[in-house]
Amino acid sequence: MMDAPTTDRWIRRLNLLQLVLAGIIIMTPTVWMVLSSLKPSFEVTAYPPTLVFTPTLDNYVELTKTTPFLSYALNSLIVTIGSTALGLLFGIPAAFTVSWTRISWPAILTLAARMAPGTLFLLPWYVMFRQIGMIGSYTALILSHAVITLPIVIWVLLPSFDGIPRSVFEAAQVDGCSVTRILWRIALPLVASGIAVSAILAFVFSWNYFLFALVLSNGDSKTLIAAAFNFIGEGSTQWGALMAAATLIALPPLVLAALVQRWLVSGLTLGAVKG
Amino acid sequence: MASISIRNLVKRYGNFTVIPDLNLEIADHEFVVFVGPSGCGKSTLLRIIAGLEPISSGDLYIGDKRVNGVQAAQRDIAMVFQDYALYPHMRVYDNMSFALELRGTPKAEIDARVKRAAALLHIEPYLDRKPKELSGGQRQRVAMGRAIVRNPKAFLFDEPLSNLDAKLRGQVRAEIKALSQELKTTMVFVTHDQIEAMTMADRIVVLQSGTIQQYDTPETVYERPANQFVAGFIGSPAMNFFPVEWRQERAILSQGGTVLPLNGEAAALLRQAGSAVLGIRPEHFAVAPDATDGIAINVKLVEPLGSDTLIHFDLAGASAIARVDPALRPKVGDRLSLRPQPGKTHLFDAANGQVLR
Repeated sequence: MMDAPTTDRWIRRLNLLQLVLAGIIIMTPTVWMVLSSLKPSFEVTAYPPTLVFTPTLDNYVELTKTTPFLSYALNSLIVTIGSTALGLLFGIPAAFTVSWTRISWPAILTLAARMAPGTLFLLPWYVMFRQIGMIGSYTALILSHAVITLPIVIWVLLPSFDGIPRSVFEAAQVDGCSVTRILWRIALPLVASGIAVSAILAFVFSWNYFLFALVLSNGDSKTLIAAAFNFIGEGSTQWGALMAAATLIALPPLVLAALVQRWLVSGLTLGAVKG
Repeated sequence: MASISIRNLVKRYGNFTVIPDLNLEIADHEFVVFVGPSGCGKSTLLRIIAGLEPISSGDLYIGDKRVNGVQAAQRDIAMVFQDYALYPHMRVYDNMSFALELRGTPKAEIDARVKRAAALLHIEPYLDRKPKELSGGQRQRVAMGRAIVRNPKAFLFDEPLSNLDAKLRGQVRAEIKALSQELKTTMVFVTHDQIEAMTMADRIVVLQSGTIQQYDTPETVYERPANQFVAGFIGSPAMNFFPVEWRQERAILSQGGTVLPLNGEAAALLRQAGSAVLGIRPEHFAVAPDATDGIAINVKLVEPLGSDTLIHFDLAGASAIARVDPALRPKVGDRLSLRPQPGKTHLFDAANGQVLR
């Protein structure tokens, strides 16, 4: 039998091995994507793949020359920020109300909407937005992306609100606060990190969402991720430019997550570790 | 400052009735303590007064205003919670000034009131700290300070001492009592600790299953309990109970047949009732000098408390306790003769527990 320190050592080694494996699985496609974006066009699909090559920014130059990339980026930014703001605007009071009243069915309903395939909404929305002439508008895209952001905000914030002792809200009631004022003056400052986390997650999910933008946007309002689809053609996919586009598309969420990762972890566990 | 009047109050949660029908009058400036075992409805009643729980039926008046449908925010009462419920993101000063700020009190007056309350509670050095930087006792004082600054119609306390250690509990208990005498405001205090109830209250409400068992001064509740429940709940250690009968012109224990040295009013009551439950508080036993003069017992356990000594013994099939002079120094297995002090016994109806008088 192994003694306790030996067992601990082995557990630590196994943990490390697991982390390395998980890291490889997650990072390989990302590294592949970034390296491919820096390869000359003909080397991107070469087999066996070249690991040593002269890096070039040709794919990025090609991308900006052949597509209105910055315009797509602006579209993505407008839709993502708009839908995140909309998610926060309605999600914060909704999460607070669910926590306050302990009536959970509205939250479950939004979760079900989030779980449902996007195609379920797509056709009715397409018909509706076409009827009122909103296809291709930012409003249609922002409203449709709120289906992504709203449940995220509600479900990330719910444990944070639940984590605040009920008596704190009751003390505020006795002190003279209305429910609105309790949300504004007491609850919101206490769930600030949860709000930041939900905003970041909503931003990332909305930024990465492809389906609604593909159908509900037009040439002027196309988001980055939908525009990237244009590089995949029948028999003539521009892999280099596609990799450059994918790298640039992945950049904002990755930078955002890296900047706030410590906050992200503490925020996600906020409701669970009330102390 | 105001009186509180509760009339025919009923509180139900679905089909479960917590308070069946309660009437209570709390006078202006009075310090009333709700006491009772867990689940007796004392905290529910306090929360109803605060406006945190709706009333199923009946009426609640604060002062001369019926407040049934009035929100907690509009009742002008202050409450100290069991877990203090301080606002974690605010400094102590802001915790105390928050309610005044909501009411639009001028800044200078807020400052004066907060500082006055802080001085009263000795928390001036902590005004710039956040609650997490305070000890339990300090947080408790801040919670009281938050209530005091408002000059409310009534103070409500929901077991505010239960999270403090024994020493601090005694200290804060005395402080609240002193505070009540200084502020002269109606105070309602909920506790399950009968020592807190006895030491602080002008009047005690003893509750069981949402029903008032007795509402009177601590002295009366202790000396003249209305029923066996109150007699058993108030007093520590609890009152001893023995089923007794009147047979052959003598009081005897129903089980074992031991003759009891009962006389005077107690004997007359038992003679009239035929049988009853005899209640004797541990401190109302006297050690008889003559072994033939009282109830012979065998000492089962001795608990020396310093100021006095508790003797545990079995009598009539039940465990019982007597509180005796520590100088007696009894030992386990010693045989003693105890007799109830005259006029200090209580007789209760064996069927419904009501006191026999």
